[in-house]
Amino acid sequence: MSSFRRTQPPLHPFDAQIDIPLKSLTLGNGVPVYIIEAGTEDVIRFECVFRAGIIKESRPLLASTANMMLTEGSVNYTAEEINETLDYYGIFLNLQAERDTASLTAYFLSRYFEKAMELFAEILFRPVFPGTELEKLMMKRLNWYRINREKVQKIAGDRFLESVFGPAHPYGRQVAEADFEGLSPSILRDFHGNFYRPEDMAVIVSGRIPDSAVTSMEKHFGHLRSEKIQSPAAESPIEGLSVKKDHISKKGAVQTAVRIGSATINKRHPDYHGLKFLNVTLGGYFGSRLMKNLREDKGYTYGIHSIVSSFDKSGLWMISTEVGRENSSKAVEEIKKEIKLLMQKPVAADEMEVVGNYMAGELVRSFDGPMAIAESFRSAWEFGLDMSYFSKMMHTIRTITPEEVLQLANTYYNIEDLYEITAG
Amino acid sequence: MVDFRSYRLENGLRLIVNEDRSTPLVAMNILYDAGSRDEDSSLTGMAHLLEHLMYCGTENIREYDLPLQLAGGENNAFTNNDITNYYITLPAANVETAFWLESDRMLAPDFTEGKLEIQKNVVIEEFKQRYLNQPYGDAMLHLRPLAYKRHPYRWPTIGMEPAHIERIVVEDVRRFFDRHYNPGKAIVTLSGNITPGRAYELALKWFGSIPAGEEYVRNLPAEPEQTGERRHTVERNLPADALYKAWHMGPRSDPGFHTMDVITDLLAGGESGRLYNRLVRDLNLFSEINAYITSDIDPGLVIVSGKIMKGIDPETAEKAVVQVIQELKDTDPADYELEKVKNRYESSAVLSNTGILNKALKLSVFELLGDASGINSEVEAYRAVSKTMIRDAADRYLNPANCSTLYYIASKKKGK
Repeated sequence: MSSFRRTQPPLHPFDAQIDIPLKSLTLGNGVPVYIIEAGTEDVIRFECVFRAGIIKESRPLLASTANMMLTEGSVNYTAEEINETLDYYGIFLNLQAERDTASLTAYFLSRYFEKAMELFAEILFRPVFPGTELEKLMMKRLNWYRINREKVQKIAGDRFLESVFGPAHPYGRQVAEADFEGLSPSILRDFHGNFYRPEDMAVIVSGRIPDSAVTSMEKHFGHLRSEKIQSPAAESPIEGLSVKKDHISKKGAVQTAVRIGSATINKRHPDYHGLKFLNVTLGGYFGSRLMKNLREDKGYTYGIHSIVSSFDKSGLWMISTEVGRENSSKAVEEIKKEIKLLMQKPVAADEMEVVGNYMAGELVRSFDGPMAIAESFRSAWEFGLDMSYFSKMMHTIRTITPEEVLQLANTYYNIEDLYEITAG
Repeated sequence: MVDFRSYRLENGLRLIVNEDRSTPLVAMNILYDAGSRDEDSSLTGMAHLLEHLMYCGTENIREYDLPLQLAGGENNAFTNNDITNYYITLPAANVETAFWLESDRMLAPDFTEGKLEIQKNVVIEEFKQRYLNQPYGDAMLHLRPLAYKRHPYRWPTIGMEPAHIERIVVEDVRRFFDRHYNPGKAIVTLSGNITPGRAYELALKWFGSIPAGEEYVRNLPAEPEQTGERRHTVERNLPADALYKAWHMGPRSDPGFHTMDVITDLLAGGESGRLYNRLVRDLNLFSEINAYITSDIDPGLVIVSGKIMKGIDPETAEKAVVQVIQELKDTDPADYELEKVKNRYESSAVLSNTGILNKALKLSVFELLGDASGINSEVEAYRAVSKTMIRDAADRYLNPANCSTLYYIASKKKGK
């Protein structure tokens, strides 16, 4: 074999360019609009964000149902008409209620900008929450819920969140079958009136934006004002369960789902960037320690991942995998071994370099094109952060030392205090 | 409009380059003309298992992922009935690492018993995770052998059963690799911040010296025409009954392909499809319903699948589906409705051209189908579908005698 194949071609440095083409303006009623003009095709990504997530709900399913019902009928259109029109203009709509926020995200051709704004104003601010559509939606959702409860991943994941954040806090609260009854149009209207206030919306537009875009947004959104005064949602404290280890038995399952982790810091914390680095080393990429050990060396699993994600009031660290039943206790043992190793021994220089370069590449990818830039922007903006969050990430990736990683592991990997949930 | 240049090396390797200066990255896609349809019927799952083994190092490069991660790259792959497809994105400055890694594993992957054993375990866990341990996860394991009696589409890409994967030995892997992983069977596509000239130069340097390898002529058994309806029922302790219906259709190259795609969109595109409006929204028979074509290269399937609401018996639900399909044959769609479906195609085609990875994959697939420039004419092909074409296609394919029906129903014994 020719020897030139044995050596990797020379590598070149490639830091992510974070100076993005961001403009911002304010509509007549104070709505902030962030505009990211970029891309090669005449397409738009349009997103409206509200602080109307699960954390604001007084009972399970309220935030998600209010969000899903937005396209189920408005003052001027029936549910069929709304969906028919969205499809006719090739507008791909995604409605989502997450833990802290609820949003409408849409992808469409630039030439339909005006039509899209007209429709979104109708969907977001003039929904009527018809009772018959609500009843049907809840029946469908109950059906989906029952199917999901058959999945060991879902069973373990739900119990994990309940354990970490506590059953009383919206981050951890579980949905039961009875919750699918009793949501009425008036409860939804109240929630909508409180939390989908036009003045509390933020808009993020990216892509090849037509000249008339600002006029269109001003016309359809800029004059809207809400009638209600926002009543703050009751806040319950985050209080994890004292039982740290639990198994939920599922008859006939051929695999066991494993979830291990704890609450942790979020994006606003100065250690967050370093914690991300530590987490990627442990289980955040294909070459991670967990993946190498449990998949590539032992063949226990198809995949294993460790994530650190941010919520407004907390953060979450979670390791997840599905393994053959017979291997589940060995898998848990190996996971803990890898965590401990990171707490005991500094990461070697060559591994530091791989993790750093992998993360730098990811950062480049998360600024590639208008859609990715908008998603990155939103993920920082949501926490009140600006683009310096990403410059700091780049800086951390390039400068963090093995000693700092070791110290982070000892600060944040509370090995004696981990939640360990299995289902199968 | 996606601009590109095409090249062919002497060993038969095809190279396509789409230069896109708006990105700091390059995507490299390598499509091998080898899928699960090329497997021995007693060793199914081979193509996909080989995909896993391709990541286990070569004689020259012991580890595949490490150098790519050092270069800031990311990669993945998928296998389906027809193709095995590998892709990488990485910063443009380090693109040569992608050429180095991909050419070396086309040349000399290092298959060993030890690596094979591990990947067999990984794949069997994947089998469990995605097909056996999921509600309805094994639907295709039942539906395929019902619809296909001879053609290799009768098994899914993961394999017929874990036992097939267990019995594969290194020689089997080597044989499959030697037969299919040759330059003449590969299409390498680059999209991103690279000039066609530079890409060609690198392709010559890294892929140019790989021997052309053995000539393989695919000769698969054709599926005989189905002449009577087929039914199968699976009893499972699941919270909702489910219905699957599959009809045979023409191959990917058939002029009627786009018509069938339009039909499935009329039926279930977006939230305004007929099946959704009628059976989910109005009649509340299903909690979800889908219609799609499998898009296979050989004659594929049109599939309708839905989860049935509690208290509705599957026969009633099925009758309602058949009724909606009958209307396609009886009445032409309105202009507005047909226009809607075509607009959705245009929108999704343009949207999918915003990413370099998507462009690289689409160019590769169109090249395999005969011409990479298909990427720029697909919208027109959909625009050309007429009401007559829809009615003819529905008449021809969507008949009981051409249909296989699968029910999932709750086990008779009560409780869990």
